[in-house]
Amino acid sequence: MENNAEIVTIYVMGKKHNVPGDLTIMKAMEYAGHQFTRGAGCRGGYCGACATLYRKKGSYKLEGALACQKIVEDGMYIAQIPFNPAEKTTYSLDELRPDANTILEYYPELSRCLACNTCTKACPQDIMVMDYVQASLRGDIEQAAKLSFDCISCGLCAVRCPAEIVPYNVGQLARRLYARYVDGPSQHVLDRVKEVEEGKFDEGIKELKNMDKAALQERYETREKILE
Amino acid sequence: MSDYESGYPDYMRESLEKVAATRASRVGKSFKAMTAEEKDKILRDFHPDWKMDQKRGLKVGPSKGQLMPHEVVDILEAHSIIKPEDIDLSSIDYDIDVLIIGAGGAGLSAAILAHDSGIGPDKILIVQKLRLGDANSKMSQGGIQAADAPNDSPTIHYLDIIGGGHYENKPELVEAMVNDGPDVIKWHEELGVLYDKLEDGTMQLAPGGGTSRLRMHSCKDYTGMEITRILMDEVLNRQIGYVEFTSAVEFVMDDKGQVAGAVLFDMDSDEYKIARAKSTILATGGFGRLHIQSFETTNHYGATGDGIIMAYRAGANLIHLDSTQFHPTGSAYPEQIVGQLCTEKLRGRGAQPVNVDGELFVYPLETRDVEASALIRECFGRENGVTTPSGMKGVWLDTPLIDIINGEGTIEREFAAMFRNYNKFGIDIRKEPMLVFPTLHYQNGGVEINVRCETSVPGLFAAGEVCGGVHGKNRLMGNSQLDLYVFGRRAGKAGAERAKTTKIGKLNLDHLKRYEKGLKEGGVETTRKSPMLLPEYRGEKTLEHQLKLL
Amino acid sequence: MTRLAYYPGCTLKTNAKNFEDSTIATAEKLGIELVEPERWNCCGTVHSLSTDDVMHHLAPIRNLLRVEELSNAGEVDSKQVVTLCAMCYNTLKRSNMVFNEDSDRKKKIRDNMYKEDIEYSGNVEVLHHLEVLREMGWDKVKEAVANPLNGLKVAPYYGCLLLRPRGIGVDDTDDPTIMEDMLEALGAETVGFAYSQKCCGSYNAVHMKEVVADLAHKILKQAEEAGADMLVTACPLCEYNLGPRQSEVEKRYPVFKSIPVVYFTQLMALAFSLGEEAAAFTGNKPDPRPLLRDKGLLEE
Repeated sequence: MENNAEIVTIYVMGKKHNVPGDLTIMKAMEYAGHQFTRGAGCRGGYCGACATLYRKKGSYKLEGALACQKIVEDGMYIAQIPFNPAEKTTYSLDELRPDANTILEYYPELSRCLACNTCTKACPQDIMVMDYVQASLRGDIEQAAKLSFDCISCGLCAVRCPAEIVPYNVGQLARRLYARYVDGPSQHVLDRVKEVEEGKFDEGIKELKNMDKAALQERYETREKILE
Repeated sequence: MSDYESGYPDYMRESLEKVAATRASRVGKSFKAMTAEEKDKILRDFHPDWKMDQKRGLKVGPSKGQLMPHEVVDILEAHSIIKPEDIDLSSIDYDIDVLIIGAGGAGLSAAILAHDSGIGPDKILIVQKLRLGDANSKMSQGGIQAADAPNDSPTIHYLDIIGGGHYENKPELVEAMVNDGPDVIKWHEELGVLYDKLEDGTMQLAPGGGTSRLRMHSCKDYTGMEITRILMDEVLNRQIGYVEFTSAVEFVMDDKGQVAGAVLFDMDSDEYKIARAKSTILATGGFGRLHIQSFETTNHYGATGDGIIMAYRAGANLIHLDSTQFHPTGSAYPEQIVGQLCTEKLRGRGAQPVNVDGELFVYPLETRDVEASALIRECFGRENGVTTPSGMKGVWLDTPLIDIINGEGTIEREFAAMFRNYNKFGIDIRKEPMLVFPTLHYQNGGVEINVRCETSVPGLFAAGEVCGGVHGKNRLMGNSQLDLYVFGRRAGKAGAERAKTTKIGKLNLDHLKRYEKGLKEGGVETTRKSPMLLPEYRGEKTLEHQLKLL
Repeated sequence: MTRLAYYPGCTLKTNAKNFEDSTIATAEKLGIELVEPERWNCCGTVHSLSTDDVMHHLAPIRNLLRVEELSNAGEVDSKQVVTLCAMCYNTLKRSNMVFNEDSDRKKKIRDNMYKEDIEYSGNVEVLHHLEVLREMGWDKVKEAVANPLNGLKVAPYYGCLLLRPRGIGVDDTDDPTIMEDMLEALGAETVGFAYSQKCCGSYNAVHMKEVVADLAHKILKQAEEAGADMLVTACPLCEYNLGPRQSEVEKRYPVFKSIPVVYFTQLMALAFSLGEEAAAFTGNKPDPRPLLRDKGLLEE
């Protein structure tokens, strides 16, 4: 079967290629002969390995996308940003407290935020990046955690930030603080762990382990289902 | 259909209208589940595992004679990419206690537990051929199972797993997994994983195919991504050693017959390096990128099955590799994302598979092998599928039901990734269904381990998708996520313990020579080399893969 | 209830929580519901110190745009926004002025205002809470008083940003009375002192602590010599430099005697008898409560 898509011209790091117009940037680059080591990962929008900057013909705008999620357009200039030189502070979550100034203490450069919103504009996940940076700045851990949740750490926000903040690292700290200390553990999980430790289920599992296949199959096929 | 712009080609309109027309009448209805006999028949008739011409018996090594897909046999019956005489084992680049190969959920968990067990961060090395965390683990959407609900128990979880796996699972591995399950969730919460919860602070739990209780814990539909990034953050906080873009290509052994590290290949400089370790943990994940039977895959770029061949050359037993998991619902349209995962949680929250006429044809939460077979039968046995512009077939997964059943906003909230992904290609899954077809998802079999994650080769531990035995011949949704952390943690602990008392002898690569001899004795004549490290998609192959599915 | 847009600013959510708590409680008593926009960012004050001519206006104007959205949505009754922090007030008001008076910069600011649904019109009016109260009338404030602060001698401290530059200030730059009027309406006696408009040292607190300590020493000593029981401020940064940082002053000036510093809204809460929580004195250093108890203004 033929690929009937219209052929478009793209420029990969300046080099011109003609590729089928229905391919994603990633597949178009492969079509053009690139073998990825850097710049490709899950190929499904989950890992952030394929952060890409591009400009379209006739536009002054510098745009960001994930190469695996964006279809090529005619006249596109493409540069991948497979790595972002970022400083991640190290900490022991056990020793932190979810206080208003905790995030700022670890990422004081937050106070340099100009609120220019370039990060939000660069985000391929449509996250309100500046809003979670600002929430972190004022110690609103819950909002920072929730707004940043869908972040895949592709790094485009950090590349574009004029204040040199690395938002995705900030969001990571906010989420861990929130989950650990504000949201907290579920009691039924702790209870069940204790029951397992006490050997409450050992007998039942032993019984199943000792059954022959026919008896086990009978037990399986007639087991009660509670899915409400 | 008129209040929005359809993301599908015009010719699909008639079918889409039928789906919309029957939608209201399908709310609260469900196709009846199959009996044991019906399941058995549909698997034999339609599941790709039962296409015997797609398999052959292995002619080399300890698991000689086992039937496996051609693509797997191809990498096993192949020459090593290195020649022992080219490798200088006298110059050690990394001398550590615990070597971990692979940095997905299992590898990262192993590193943290090895550190917890008293191994210094500089005495642990994670090698990863791409970046830290680049793995299938990160792509898991729907959830992780653990029997922590009051009406559930590890015993019930055990029964679901072993029945779903067709009674072929190794019982002691299943036991270990169900018992560790709740503790894994507890551990995650202590690390700061943000699980979906109900107002009262209890876990929001969903059903999955083949589960008899609500047992699926989720972090929206970014479950694997959320857990993996936190494990990565923790590894970085602890300053555990790691090296990226460096692939293990073969194990190094010593004169005592134990695995003693690995030969590494630096993907940037094309140089080989030697890591010497007292314990080696294999956590390389699965083989989706081998494209078994030309199926598209949900898998990560690096999922090329490297670990199986490395372990096999070192003498490790393999089990259950005749069985492959095809996820029932991969994207069939749009073309750009064909094969990508449409999480099972969509069905868990009410989306139904329906055919070209908008009719139900299968219980939505059969086990994955049965569900996938039913979709294949609907498309190719009954001709009730929808054909895509590239000639592929699929059935509808009626997602708008999710918002109808659970309230408006549910899709955007709980399926943020899926919603965003389809939106980028012009389809609003709140209003229109997804077109789906089974896709290659998971390596059911692999390297055989015991509950301490020891393989049949001393010094070599394994955890995660590279292993076989835990899930039998069919894995249930959410159990691979659990598997990663249960066995990753066990491997890290056991590896650390072994490292404290082990002495390494003189290094050698004699096992490669023995394997070469085995190939000759088995009558294998080939120029194939393995491991593959990265799949080949350059040039026209880009299009080939897009079109091969027909 | 009048619904008035309220821009908090970062400090009001952290170090100056007592300023916010007391303000919200007292405003409610006076019939004002303060409505905080769902989205807001730092006022942008850090960048007003930079030489860049456009970027530093983005943050303040974006906040005014949020207020405009709130107003367009009918969630507040006017296109006014009230601030508490003198720094925020000054920053927002100055940028608003630039936006409205300089058409070149207005265009540039608009061009760089990424990812917004509407364009800012320039029509939001920036107010300090003191102005809102003055507009309402001191009589109204007086009516709400249940516990007159009789016998309490307070020194109103304006600092710089409430009054300067000319045209921005809440009152006459040379001869302000707004704080005095406010405090006298509560029944307190105001004490004038020479340094009531002297700078507290501002952001020097970050890296030149001794400069701040010297300034604070001068201001606080003056107030005390003028007979004040406590200092009253309307700005979190002034409060921080003059209050909690007294520990630094004590180190440099061993004979220095500490004196409480409170927000004007805290005294309002006390005078309105709104309870401990509204007055929020637990957030202050030095603790003003022993003195207020001595004066019989606070129960034991």
